[in-house]
Amino acid sequence: MSTIIEMRGISKSFGPVAALSNVDFRLEPGSIHALMGENGAGKSTLMKILAGVLRPTSGEILLAGKPLSLSSPRDGLDAGISVVFQEQSLLANLTVAENMFLGREPRTRWGGIDYPTMRAKTREALAQLDLDFDPDRQVAELGIAERQFLEIAHGIHANARVMILDEPTAALNAADVDVLNRNIRRLASEGCAIVYVSHRLEEIFELCDTVTVLKDGALVGTRPVSEMNTASLIAMMVGRELSDMFPPRADETGAPMLGIEDMVLQPGAAALNLTVNAGEIVALAGLEGQGQSAIARALVGLHVPVSGHIHLKGQTVPLPLPRESGLLKMHAAGLGFVPEDRKEEGLLLNLSVAQNIALGRFAGVPAVAPASGTRAVVQRMMDAMNIKAAGPRARVGSLSGGNQQKVLFGRALAAEMDVLVIEEPTRGVDVGAKAEIYGLLRDFTAAGGAVLVLSREALELIGLADRIYVIHDNAIAGEIAATEATEHKLLDMALSGGKAENA
Amino acid sequence: MLPLLVVIGIVTWLSIGTDEFARPGNLSNLLAQAMPLLIASIGQMFVIVVAGLDLSVGSVISFSTAILALDAPGYLTFPALFMLAALIGATNGIAVTRLNVHPIIATLAMQYVVLGVTRLIRPVSGGTVPEFVIASVQGSFLGVPMPVFWAITVLAIGWKVLHASRFGLHLFAIGGGMASGQTSAARNFGVPETRIIISAYVASSLFAALAGVFLAGRIVSGDPNVGMLFELNSITAVALGGTQLSGGVGSLQGTAIGAFLLALLSNGMNLANVSPFIQTVVKGGLLLAVVSFQRRRKMGL
Repeated sequence: MSTIIEMRGISKSFGPVAALSNVDFRLEPGSIHALMGENGAGKSTLMKILAGVLRPTSGEILLAGKPLSLSSPRDGLDAGISVVFQEQSLLANLTVAENMFLGREPRTRWGGIDYPTMRAKTREALAQLDLDFDPDRQVAELGIAERQFLEIAHGIHANARVMILDEPTAALNAADVDVLNRNIRRLASEGCAIVYVSHRLEEIFELCDTVTVLKDGALVGTRPVSEMNTASLIAMMVGRELSDMFPPRADETGAPMLGIEDMVLQPGAAALNLTVNAGEIVALAGLEGQGQSAIARALVGLHVPVSGHIHLKGQTVPLPLPRESGLLKMHAAGLGFVPEDRKEEGLLLNLSVAQNIALGRFAGVPAVAPASGTRAVVQRMMDAMNIKAAGPRARVGSLSGGNQQKVLFGRALAAEMDVLVIEEPTRGVDVGAKAEIYGLLRDFTAAGGAVLVLSREALELIGLADRIYVIHDNAIAGEIAATEATEHKLLDMALSGGKAENA
Repeated sequence: MLPLLVVIGIVTWLSIGTDEFARPGNLSNLLAQAMPLLIASIGQMFVIVVAGLDLSVGSVISFSTAILALDAPGYLTFPALFMLAALIGATNGIAVTRLNVHPIIATLAMQYVVLGVTRLIRPVSGGTVPEFVIASVQGSFLGVPMPVFWAITVLAIGWKVLHASRFGLHLFAIGGGMASGQTSAARNFGVPETRIIISAYVASSLFAALAGVFLAGRIVSGDPNVGMLFELNSITAVALGGTQLSGGVGSLQGTAIGAFLLALLSNGMNLANVSPFIQTVVKGGLLLAVVSFQRRRKMGL
């Protein structure tokens, strides 16, 4: 078979952080090609480059042997490359038919939009997927599965030669998955090249013929699926030693600081219990979107669980917390939350380092109380954390990712919290700053604090934490001491949802 | 549907409660009163659908009456005022898209500029407007007063452009993307975003100029203050009609109902001898009440 897409030596970096380095990727027509790798391995970045959403820092893309330059998703679509991303890209205020044809609407003789043709062709394209919903329905009224099928229909209608499906089954139920798989096979048999990004091993073995594995932004290898089994595939995805950037673990831990009792995250989910002791770093591991972040956010009222209790330093707080005041209440009680997305949810990028750190100090203090001693606290934090900035008045947006992350920690530490709940402590942070941040967290627990951390990087969790809970499907699938954990074991527990033995 | 019910309610109440309301003379007068606002509101809606606002509408209306009242032949001033209005709209659009100025600031600045120029041309009201403009507004055809034809024409144009053209669909697509935070969604579909947004501002200015022509025909002169508050009243009419200021949701019939509702309100309260100050209070209260009771995120009313 001839190659339809060849990506050669693709590299992409976001600032100082390299997301992809020198990756080769080839696609053949009629093949269903699985793209695998741990969270953050660079799968989505590679696919966004192929779709024209991102431009590579270096490397080239060949379409049927000819160089292809993509500067927008439109270029990708015109070249026959169609993507169904996890995040939705449909316009909810328009109808199904309008979304199908937006940008290339059929016209009537008088220059108006030919709605009858649009409706008919939309029905046709949906019928090819064995779907039957009204082209005049507003997309806002559609369910997630229907939207996903609509995006696929959009790709089919654009005569896609390459169809990228980024975790298409994440939000679908079993019946919808069957419909989807049938359609994927049909598309492939018609000569479409399909890239299938998924974490579900059984789907890969059932559906795909080739698999490419990425790790830390680099290519591990491309193999026929028939030569692989579950063990060899996991080995390909893991295969790396623990590095020695982590500080030593605690020798002994103290009394329980934070406890979660019978928390039910969603209707129908199992109740979950966990404890974090003083002096301990406890991690939540698992595949993306299994509920780790919901647990962390439920602790500060940013996620509304069905029921449960929190025990914080011997004090019992019923769940759910009020959405409006939960965060402030827990802050006042000594629990700090460091959100995952520091730019969107954490820092005020236009304000200074000092203002960002000082913000944390005023939980539990009357709003009109005088703010004294702030300058000294800010200076102490900047020194202790080795924040590299032009001064306390430097704009946070001008700092590097690692220093921004330290400012975010500085805010929580300045507030003198006892328990920290941290999402993704080192996202978009370079290696040196990572080691510093790990050290800071250990210092915090050595002084009697407790940390609950979650991260997409299994290695980070193993190296940093004392104990790890693996989350699957909004419940705890297993608990493992970090000294016994390996990436392989965590992945196994996370993939099988606790059906395998809990080592 | 709420504004429509209010309109029907007011019409019923006025027809029963007052002798003057249902007379043909008053009805035709009501239509003529409503017309400039209707025209300006249709233009305003183009901009609001793409999540913008046009505050220069009022000044453009005054400006076009001033141009028409210049001491020059109508065959020169008439096309010239539309060309100038298009230029004003294009400048607004370019400021918003290319220079990244917030729509309120961009069009507020333009409001001042155009107001100043208008006062330079015609410091106080006066002059005369071409005969054909007066005839097209005050005359009648086949026994039907001209404003009826104006209404049919502007509604037909507005309908065609907003709801039956590619341009209209693209307006809604861009606005829908902005309203839901996917600012590049429409562009990713291949919609020429910048060009469409600029065209929306041009359309708004052209409709404002047309509203100015109608007003000039009614007052038979140029007036630097005649367009005052039209920018806010047109936004009120559009909002009353169910168009979301966050973009992407709205309908022409809604805007038409909103504009008629405002005209009806002042006509009716004048007939009922309500003080103009109270009228303003009622207008504000009505706007708040109607918009709070509207269901969000639905197309149209």
